[in-house]
This record gives sequence, C-alpha cells and structure tokens, in this order.
Amino acid sequence: MHLHTSCSPVNPDPQSLPAAVEFRDVTVVRGGVHILDGVTATVPRGGCTAIVGPNGAGKSTLLLTLLGELPYSGRIHLDVAEGRPRVGYVPQRLEFDRGLPMTVEEFMSMGSQRIPLWFGCRKKSRDRAQQLLASVRADGLAQRQLGALSGGEVQRVLLALALQQGPELLILDEPAAGVDFQGELLFCELLEGLRRNRGFTQLMVSHDLSTVTHHASHVICLNRCVAAEGSPQDVLTPQNLAAVFGVHMGLVDRSSMPDQAASCSATCCDHDQDH
Amino acid sequence: MTLIATLSEFIGWLLPFECMQDRFMQQAMLGLVLLAPMAAAMGVQVVNFRMAFFADAISHSAFAGVAIGLLFSLDPQWTMPLFAILVGLAIMAAQRRSALSSDTIIGVSFSAVMAFGIAVVSRDSGMRRQIDQFVFGDILTIDDTGLLCLIALFAALLAFQAFSYNRLLYVGLNPVLAKAHCVHVAVYQYLYVGLLSLVVIFAVWIVGVLLVTALLVVPAAAARCMARTAGGMFWWAIIVSVSSAIIGLLISAQPWADTATGATVILVAFGWFTVSAAVSAVRA
Repeated sequence: MHLHTSCSPVNPDPQSLPAAVEFRDVTVVRGGVHILDGVTATVPRGGCTAIVGPNGAGKSTLLLTLLGELPYSGRIHLDVAEGRPRVGYVPQRLEFDRGLPMTVEEFMSMGSQRIPLWFGCRKKSRDRAQQLLASVRADGLAQRQLGALSGGEVQRVLLALALQQGPELLILDEPAAGVDFQGELLFCELLEGLRRNRGFTQLMVSHDLSTVTHHASHVICLNRCVAAEGSPQDVLTPQNLAAVFGVHMGLVDRSSMPDQAASCSATCCDHDQDH
Repeated sequence: MTLIATLSEFIGWLLPFECMQDRFMQQAMLGLVLLAPMAAAMGVQVVNFRMAFFADAISHSAFAGVAIGLLFSLDPQWTMPLFAILVGLAIMAAQRRSALSSDTIIGVSFSAVMAFGIAVVSRDSGMRRQIDQFVFGDILTIDDTGLLCLIALFAALLAFQAFSYNRLLYVGLNPVLAKAHCVHVAVYQYLYVGLLSLVVIFAVWIVGVLLVTALLVVPAAAARCMARTAGGMFWWAIIVSVSSAIIGLLISAQPWADTATGATVILVAFGWFTVSAAVSAVRA
C-alpha cells in the first residue's frame, strides 16, 4: 500500500502510526434524512487525506461533525499529543461581510492579540502575522482591506489564520473552490510544502479528482456512507467512481500511472512530471 | 449621592450654556454621555452580527417587563431589565439550536412579548403614561439610582469590550471558524446578549422604544463608512455617538427648537451618517 506519487506524503508508512482521526459508525440525521449513515473511516497521521464524493454526499457535513458543529451518533476520536486538539480550519468560502473595515493584519490578530484592536496591532502580532503571511506567499497583503481581496487571496489568508493555531490537524473544505486553475495548483503546492515543514495531518474535502490524485495519500470515497477507502490508486478506480458518482468519470487513467503514481488527464500532470 | 452631584456640576462647568445650569439638564446630559458610547460600542457588533432586529425585539420586551411588574406588583425598574435579559438569552439559545432562521425566531418572540405587554397593560386604563414613556422615552425622568446603575453598567461594559472586542470580531466574521480555532463562541455570545439587553433597556428609558435601534446602529453605520480598520471603527462610533448626544441635547433644550431629546440626538447622528457616506463615496 505504499505510495510514491510525485508529491510524496510526509509519512511514508501511515499504517505504522495511530490514526490522527478515527470515525466509528458516525451517523447524522437532519430532519429525518440520513445525511451520514454509519461512516467508519480513518485519517492516517501525517498524510493528506481527501474526502471525495458527489454533491450531497455529506462531505462538508463530515467535517462539521468533526469540528463539533453538528450532533451525531457514533464516535469520533482525535488522537492528539496532549490536551485540546490543535485544529486549523479553512472553510470553503468565507461568508463574511465585505463591508467590514478590517485590514488583513487585524484579521490575523483578532484571534491572538488580547489588547483590543482599538489601540492597533501590537508589534508582536504584526511580526507574527507578517511571518505567517509570508509562509503562504501573501507577504504584501498585511495592510490591505480584507473585503478587497480576491478569492485566491482570501484562501491564502485563511490558510495563514489556520496555521496560526499551530495545527496538528489542518481541515480544508474545498480549498480549490472559487480559485482559478493556476491558483489552485499554487495552493496545493503550498500545502505540500507546509505539510512537509510543519508535519501536520491534512484532511480536505475535494470534488476535484485531479487535485486528489496528485496531492492525497489517502482517499475516503463518501456517499452518505463510505464507499471505498485507501490509497488513491486503489480507490479511484473506474468501478468505484462509477458507483459513487453515478457516471464514468474518465478522469483517472490508470494505465498511465507509472510506478504506481496516480495520474490524470488534467494539464497539471505535465507540470508535475517536470519535477 | 455625592458622586452624581459632583459629576453633574462638572458637566455644568464643562458646558457653560444657560440651559445646562439646571440640575435635571446636567443629569440628563450625564445619562446621555454614559449611554451613547455604550450603545455605539455594542452597536459595532450589532452591525457585525446583523442583530438590529434582535435588538429591536429586546427593546419591545421592555413593555412586557413593565406588565410583569404590574401583575406581580414589583418595581418595573427591576422587572424590565431582568425580563429583557431573559428574552435576549432565550432568543440566542433558540437561534443556536433551532433549524428555523433567526429572523423567524426573533419575529415570533417579538410578537409574543409585545402582545403579552399590551394585553396586560390594556386592562388598566391608568397606564397611558407608561405607554408614552415606553414609546418616546424620557431622559428627564432619570434619577440618581438610574445614573448609578448606568455608571456601573458602563464600567462592566468597558471591561467586557476591552476583553472581547477582538474575539467578537472573529465570531462576527464566521462563528464556525472562530469555534474551530478555540474561541469560546457561546460564552462570548451569551455575555454579549446579556449586556446588550441591559443597554437596550436603558436606551428605551432614555430615548424610547422607537429610537433604540437607531442609537445602536446609526453611529456604527457611520463608523463603517469612515474607518479603514476594525480598531478605527470603534473610535468613530464613539465619536459620532457622543458628539450627537451632546449636540442633540443642547439643541433640544433651545427655546426655538423644543424638540424631543432622543429624536434630536438621532437626527444629529443621521447627519453624521450622511457626511460619512459621502466621504466613503468620494474615497471610492
């Protein structure tokens, strides 16, 4: 089950360590409808786990359940070093009020600075914000208005905010939504680098199978219950995809997966093979 | 009540106008300059949380608070704030749990408390004055006890705002994100609503139920247009509200104006808003 994609996961053998997150028979019922039905899955430590599935499969619900936002039956176990789990969360699209006057620097300080922002950002917060923004390649944004940022810039600032938690587990809901292709590629590469440096476990929801094949080390295929789970090349088979998505996706071409590496028909493959 | 007397005299000295030499005017000014910045500071979050309708519902519960006082022969000065806090917390709890949209929940609570108040008060024909006071407010009726309560609330609110301003911005932007990042969202929300209820009740007393929302929202709205930063928004809201309070009270006391104080204050604040909206338009 070892994986050697072009973007190799931090942890070469996720099986040997206890899982970062374990879902055991998680069921969520809202208004009499089973949104999740007996979901049992694991998120291996250190790697990048992707949750894929069609619209309405309960992907975002599973994340919200993990974040404690929704009542559920079953068990979710977060294996953390000590105390409260340190979680970073990057929501799908920050639904915020763009009319709010707030600089990116203030956005980065609102969760960490105790002195009210009436007196501005303290030097310590400013330096920290600067450092985090640089790590997500958003150096120039500190003084910008939050409401004036583009979709891709908001994503990176949100990622910086999540990293401020020093997360053991980074949860991303559709990180590629609302970002153009170049932006998405940059964002995924950025995450790869950060994961390597900081060693967090990454759990993301994605509907973009090309992103998943390139960046995930573990895939949970969800359609109210877990349809398949494992490495991308084991899970993203035409049969599984047809069963889950209802149509033949034709996106993942297994015959073009040299050295067991997952590959796809999207143009980003060319980019990856350049490395 | 030497504290109130000293403060009143200080205000008389600070604003050496003829109309400001009466004790009741000095007390009215003291009440207004205590209430206005509190309403403005809480108003910043009312706007961020989109809670204008929420504040409206709490203000209307004041009437039911008076009714409860009548029913159980308790002093409405105490039943009003207590009932308002109860209503505020109940609406917040329902919002956090129910699948109904928050404006529906508020709409239901709003009409229930209002109907209860009218039903009880309508049995008593001698209640006309209470209704007038509820609708239009009367700053000149504020007494020493009321002012001391306002000072205490001011201190509590200042402490709360200083401690929570940054985190309330977080919660206002996105509560799920804030909670995931270890902000105690529920604690901040309930504390905020409890304090907001008290501020709203004082505002009903002073400017009347019709103008409470204006006192909360107009300075914050003007501040949004003027400020470039979240910290600046706080200061602009305070500047707009306090200056409106002082100018409004002074104008309303002039013989040529002789207008209701609350309404005059709001009109001055609206003037500020017009200017700030123009400034914002020019900037863009």
